Amino acid sequence: MTDAADHQRRPGRRRLPPLLTAGAVLVSVVVLLPIVFLVVQAVQVGWAQLHQLLFRNLTAVLVWNTVSLLLVVTALGAVVGTLAAWFVERTDLPCRRLFTVLLVIPLGIPDFVVSFGWRAIFPGIGGFWAAVLVMTLAVYPLVFLPVAASLRAADPAQEEVARSLGLGRLRTFWTVTVGQARLAIFGGAILVGLVVLAEFGAFEILGYRTLTTEIYSQFQVGFNEPAACALSVILVLLGALLLGSEASVRGHGRASRVGAGAARRIRPVQLGRARPAVLAGAVLLVAFALGVPVGAIIYLMVQGGNSTLPPASLLIATGNTFAYAAAAGLVATVAALPIALLSVRFSRRRVMALERSNMLVLAVPGLVVALSFTYVTEQFLQGRFYQTSPLLVLTYAIMFFPLAVVAVRAAVARSPVGLEEVGSALGVRRRSVLWRVTLPLIGPGLAAAFALVFLETATELTATLVLHPTNVQTLATQFWAYESNVSYSQAAPYAGVMVLIAAVPGYVLGRWFDRQPELAAVAGPVVVPGPGTLVAA
Amino acid sequence: MKDLRINGVTKSFGPQRVLCGVDLVVPHGSFTAILGASGSGKTTLLRIVAGFERPDAGAVRLGEEVVDDGGHRFVPSEHRRIGYVPQEGALFPHLSVGRNVAFGLARGPKRRERVDELLEFVGLSGYRQRYPHQLSGGQQQRVALARALAIEPEIVLLDEPFASLDAALRASVRADVLGVLRRAGTTSILVTHDQDEALSMADQVGVLRRGLIAQLDTPSALYGRPGDAELARFLGESNVLECEVHDAVAATALGRLAVEAWTGPANGGRARVMVRPEQIVLGEVAAGAMEGTVASYEYFGHDAVVRVRPGSEGLPDLVVRVTGGTPLEPGHRVGLSVVGTVVAWPVEPAEPAISSE
Repeated sequence: MTDAADHQRRPGRRRLPPLLTAGAVLVSVVVLLPIVFLVVQAVQVGWAQLHQLLFRNLTAVLVWNTVSLLLVVTALGAVVGTLAAWFVERTDLPCRRLFTVLLVIPLGIPDFVVSFGWRAIFPGIGGFWAAVLVMTLAVYPLVFLPVAASLRAADPAQEEVARSLGLGRLRTFWTVTVGQARLAIFGGAILVGLVVLAEFGAFEILGYRTLTTEIYSQFQVGFNEPAACALSVILVLLGALLLGSEASVRGHGRASRVGAGAARRIRPVQLGRARPAVLAGAVLLVAFALGVPVGAIIYLMVQGGNSTLPPASLLIATGNTFAYAAAAGLVATVAALPIALLSVRFSRRRVMALERSNMLVLAVPGLVVALSFTYVTEQFLQGRFYQTSPLLVLTYAIMFFPLAVVAVRAAVARSPVGLEEVGSALGVRRRSVLWRVTLPLIGPGLAAAFALVFLETATELTATLVLHPTNVQTLATQFWAYESNVSYSQAAPYAGVMVLIAAVPGYVLGRWFDRQPELAAVAGPVVVPGPGTLVAA
Repeated sequence: MKDLRINGVTKSFGPQRVLCGVDLVVPHGSFTAILGASGSGKTTLLRIVAGFERPDAGAVRLGEEVVDDGGHRFVPSEHRRIGYVPQEGALFPHLSVGRNVAFGLARGPKRRERVDELLEFVGLSGYRQRYPHQLSGGQQQRVALARALAIEPEIVLLDEPFASLDAALRASVRADVLGVLRRAGTTSILVTHDQDEALSMADQVGVLRRGLIAQLDTPSALYGRPGDAELARFLGESNVLECEVHDAVAATALGRLAVEAWTGPANGGRARVMVRPEQIVLGEVAAGAMEGTVASYEYFGHDAVVRVRPGSEGLPDLVVRVTGGTPLEPGHRVGLSVVGTVVAWPVEPAEPAISSE
């Protein structure tokens, strides 16, 4: 190792630039506001009342409903996602490339649209097992993508070695393949858990009561803020538990990344007589996860004809959704810059702690963020800012901030300080170097960060329902209004536009992230913010 | 005509002292190599010259101008006219070869002409439209050099530019780069941990050790007359033997050897003497001569290295370099003799015996 490399590895020896540091600290404080507000609210409600609200039968039922669903969906999602990834990456499954595409697309379809599609085609479904089915179909890509990426990065020769050492195919799969991908599987599973905790729309449509649906109805319908607060505290604690377990497992997982892994292709595993069955399974998965929601939307739109739909309101809602999503994307990307710059160029313990503190917001569902802002604007600002566009945009930016940080970080890492030094040694002024070297290099990554937040915002439902200005309708709020009225064919076009906005570019972005070596290496979950991001550092 | 003068430069990173008062003069038009082990501070020194790092104290002068005095006086790197070629070239990945080379040139009609000229100079005409990822490591290195030369720099700084190339390519890229720099007549500083590279390329070599220039000399003087045993080891394989020196003759286990430039007491001083592997000649066992048995034989094609266990007790194995020929079986008995003069350093009485590395 040369000492120049050492120098780049330990850039922390330089002093932190004060302006950048101040910016990063300010941003972190704002991002953590929802948690602070929740604590403030809980304190105001008081322990006596909280105690009473927390230890009653209803709470136990809701926690049971939520946790049991979380465990089952997480386990199923992990199994389905891992198997699908292995079949696509390592076996002679026909049309593997096509399946890679088709299996990833459901990631972009909002969970409540999947739920809507199933409900529209099978009106009778509901309850626990319906929720399990819908959520598993909606979330398995969160495991599929990182596992596929890590299998691609891992050395396939290890499987051959295991076979040569006398292990059977199943044991090889279990010990070697699952072993190689275990960090990715676990990271994806944690993501699934967080998504299940935060989900509201899908459960509401299926009539399944969880903590989130109850918080929403206590707050929106019953105006019972203390009860909503108490349940939010439970929800956030559960989320923190998931994040914590993720972090603790990460700490032991380093050894699984040995070497750079071989890029060479090996002969895929021959499925033999199992091939038709596996193919059928893959087709079924695509049909359930992608075919049903998309088919339902198309069916409902065709069936509804052109009679009742006023296209103007669809256009207006689309415009509003675009405007909010663009604003949120811009705010989150710009806000992520100071933290990303600091953590890439001055990686030292305090900076890392600052960066990671932002990831705590992953444990806070959008509904809780929205409620905490509602509470504070009502209590301390006499309702000012409540249901205004700036507050809504801020809420989005906070919710999807970890996503922006990961993407911007990857972008900043593409422009090493060394290149800027070469630029200035060539007699070019610093500002000019910024325009000619730094920005062209990090530009695509910044665009990706913007696009990620944009997509997530465009399909966000829960916080939008709480905080959108009453006279401004978005795709999500219009969809929800029609859906709640059981006007399915009128709701369908809104769902359709959301799927178009999210699924197609979402897929492209997913592939882009897949190709970022530093993200693939840690199996950083893609497109959706993830605990994997915690370690992208 | 601008020499580079470095006076008493010190630099610490936190509690870690990296440079402890470095003095160095690089004459105009010369090629100087800074040789040091990992972590010896050589890259830091280079970065101070480039203006990427500030010294804690000391001064850097380019000709008459002080470019950094560790205090208020500081000329930023963009005003120093220093060509910097970092490890792996650091080409701008988003710019074509032509635009990389043109990066430091002012816009104007002559720019294109100048870029073509430079690319031809480094032997890459016709590569203007290519992108860095389409080039081999050696080609990238030459583009980086052309880019650095474009601004007609006072000094070209090369920071381990060949470290990332594979061994087969390294020698030819080294020769190419050296040729380009000689023809350009530029003052050059090369930082490296590879003594072959330093000795073969440079007019003068400075060995940086524990934050100080331990010795600054021509390659042949450095190799032939290293200042101490540690330097001798660092610059290539050597046999260091304990001995007594009388009248500039060392009485060693290998016989009586003439000492060059003896600085110790004239009559009777304990000393250490360095014998390079190529100074030892293997022959037939003869009466009265030193002898030993072959311990190992490593064949390299152009030459071979033989480890010989001396006949007398208490002596370390000797490293001997011989020209190829027939392999010697381990256990084979050989006679040993030394050609040429040797270097010896007086030993202070309190100094402990050297340990073999």
